[in-house]
Amino acid sequence: MTRSHHSPVSNPSPITLQPSCPVTSPPSVTIELFGVPQLLTGTRSVTANGATLADLAVDLVCRNPALAGRVLDASTGWPLDGYSFVVDEQFTRDRNLPLNIGTSVLLVASAAGG
Amino acid sequence: MTASSRISSIGGVHGRLLRVDLEADGTGWCESLAPEVFAEVIGGIGLASLLLLRLCPPGADPLGPENPLIFATSPFAGTGITTSSKIAVAARSPQTGMIGDSLSSSYLALELKRTGHDALAITGCAPEWSILVVEDGRTHLRPAEGLLGLSPGDTADRLRAELGTEFRVAAIGTAGEHGVRYAAIANDGRLAGRTGSGAVMGAKRLKAIAVRGSRLPRAADPRGVAILARDLATRSVGPATAKYREIGTVANVAFFNRLGLLPTRNFAGGHFDGAEALSGETLRLEHHTGQHACAACTVGCEHHYRTLDGGPETSVRLEYETLFALGSLCGVSDPNAVLRASALCDELGMDAISAGGTIAWAMECRERGVDLGVPANEIPRWGDGAAVLRTLRQIGSREGIGDLLAEGSRAAAERVGQGSDVWAMHVKGLELPGYDPRKLKTLAVGLAVAARGACHNRSSAYEVDLSDRLDSEADARERAAAAAAAEDQAALLDSLTLCKFLRHALHDVHEESAALHRAVTGLATTADDLHQAGARIGEVKKRFNLAQGWTRALDTLPPRLLDLQVPSDGDGANIDPVWLDRQIDAYYSARGWDHEGRPAPN
Repeated sequence: MTRSHHSPVSNPSPITLQPSCPVTSPPSVTIELFGVPQLLTGTRSVTANGATLADLAVDLVCRNPALAGRVLDASTGWPLDGYSFVVDEQFTRDRNLPLNIGTSVLLVASAAGG
Repeated sequence: MTASSRISSIGGVHGRLLRVDLEADGTGWCESLAPEVFAEVIGGIGLASLLLLRLCPPGADPLGPENPLIFATSPFAGTGITTSSKIAVAARSPQTGMIGDSLSSSYLALELKRTGHDALAITGCAPEWSILVVEDGRTHLRPAEGLLGLSPGDTADRLRAELGTEFRVAAIGTAGEHGVRYAAIANDGRLAGRTGSGAVMGAKRLKAIAVRGSRLPRAADPRGVAILARDLATRSVGPATAKYREIGTVANVAFFNRLGLLPTRNFAGGHFDGAEALSGETLRLEHHTGQHACAACTVGCEHHYRTLDGGPETSVRLEYETLFALGSLCGVSDPNAVLRASALCDELGMDAISAGGTIAWAMECRERGVDLGVPANEIPRWGDGAAVLRTLRQIGSREGIGDLLAEGSRAAAERVGQGSDVWAMHVKGLELPGYDPRKLKTLAVGLAVAARGACHNRSSAYEVDLSDRLDSEADARERAAAAAAAEDQAALLDSLTLCKFLRHALHDVHEESAALHRAVTGLATTADDLHQAGARIGEVKKRFNLAQGWTRALDTLPPRLLDLQVPSDGDGANIDPVWLDRQIDAYYSARGWDHEGRPAPN
């Protein structure tokens, strides 16, 4: 499901990392990446831990610093304007949404045609 | 400010309309545009729609001399506000019979505005194939000798070499020359693509319009405009537009496919087995050659991709809508075939969505054994990229099966009968864009009621569905209000001529647009004024449609989506027609229109 490649995304910006990643507990959730997040990380899916979507976001940005400041807020991991989580096929901004093993999580850019 | 208050003059506009009669040797004359017009309908699509309502007689033949072909700019064009260099084109559509309006970016808008006019309205029909030359306030016709049969790009190159490179050119290709009902008008490599304005221009025997000017109007507060424009430009290159800058709209393919939203094989379903090869991520890694920006744009969303099939290498601009229409919709998974088909649509000068949608209809006709009046082996099969290319060429020249398909899916289905209208995927004659309405319920309402037919740009209600703004079980009133608000916002942006890709970079579209509008025009515009303007522009379009014979029966979706007996490959249940009717009732109510969808007499 994953593949690696050199990121073609231009102009990487400075990244601010937290001093240390939080100690998170299961469940471990697979997050499918689309578009810029996929190109920045060089992979189609990653795993992170979190009992809620907010917990997952923090762990996600810690494990994937390439997304910090460009897709996710560097400290909270919450999607920046133009990006969104999709949980079990529902777009959501509910930070307290509980997650379970097997929950489907996507990280996508907002849609607009052209 | 109120739209009806008296205003003496405003910044950012000339207050002048250039009229041209092709039956009087292209003679031009100027008419004034009252400042109130710009307060009421802003400019761009709003201005073009209002002029069309005023100038097009009810029942005018879309391909006849009475149908005006209108080009309109906005107060923002020429101010340096990012993405604002866009031109609106309007005419009665030969594809739908209703309002035909489209928007194209880049230098043509600036040059038309430099002529000392905010808009250009062309009526009549030239006695022979001609070029209309507009130079400041002067107009004349010159023969189109040696230009017929050329692509819009080659036509522009030839004319600019002869007339001077300061000229900007709008031109049609062979599709417009042959009256393909979804022919486009192209300028600077961009297209006013939808609703067939290229066929209107071709019917006027106008191969091209060449424009040069020397004066832009002053903004009311140039320093204020510069400060606001700089701030917006800074935000326009932030995370909110990264998708467009880094990949482009083709990024939709993989994500839409994952969610079952990618229209496949003429909307039989929303999952395409070949999506991986067509995905924006794959194209970015394997085919990308570079990116470009329109005039006065800091986003730079236009990405070019090269073919890698061993044939003559082509590098072509590609957008999601072209990719879905010529790819998954026709079952084609070879990115090289799609890139070549996209290049061919540009070369012929035609709307790729309607071209792909009409070819997909023909493919389904073949599969179901419908007689299209030509041998079955002349009709492309699902997935046959080479046959799609061949068919596009036939459409552009109206040869063989191309003559039927040049009419668009609605008219072609009416002509051949045999029940083929059931899988003609259009609203009001305009083929559907690349979003499956079975899973996008607010968009389903937006597409059904949209004045110009099925279009994601005039009803961006998919944004509501692709967010957490509405519960999937929201009641009709909530959904109708959301669909109307999305339509109003789109009308506003298309009239300010601000790119919709800026939406997520704006904290509040109406508040920030009002601040820009105040600085440019000097009017005391508020966010509420702009909310009202968006709704007013929608009503102008509705009044045009009413004058041209619109009835409620046209506000619907294709039968395939509404037939509860027909399975849809398990990608989402079809839409209950009773549910849709209830939503449409609620939409009319939200607009303050009567049960038949008519505004109160004005």
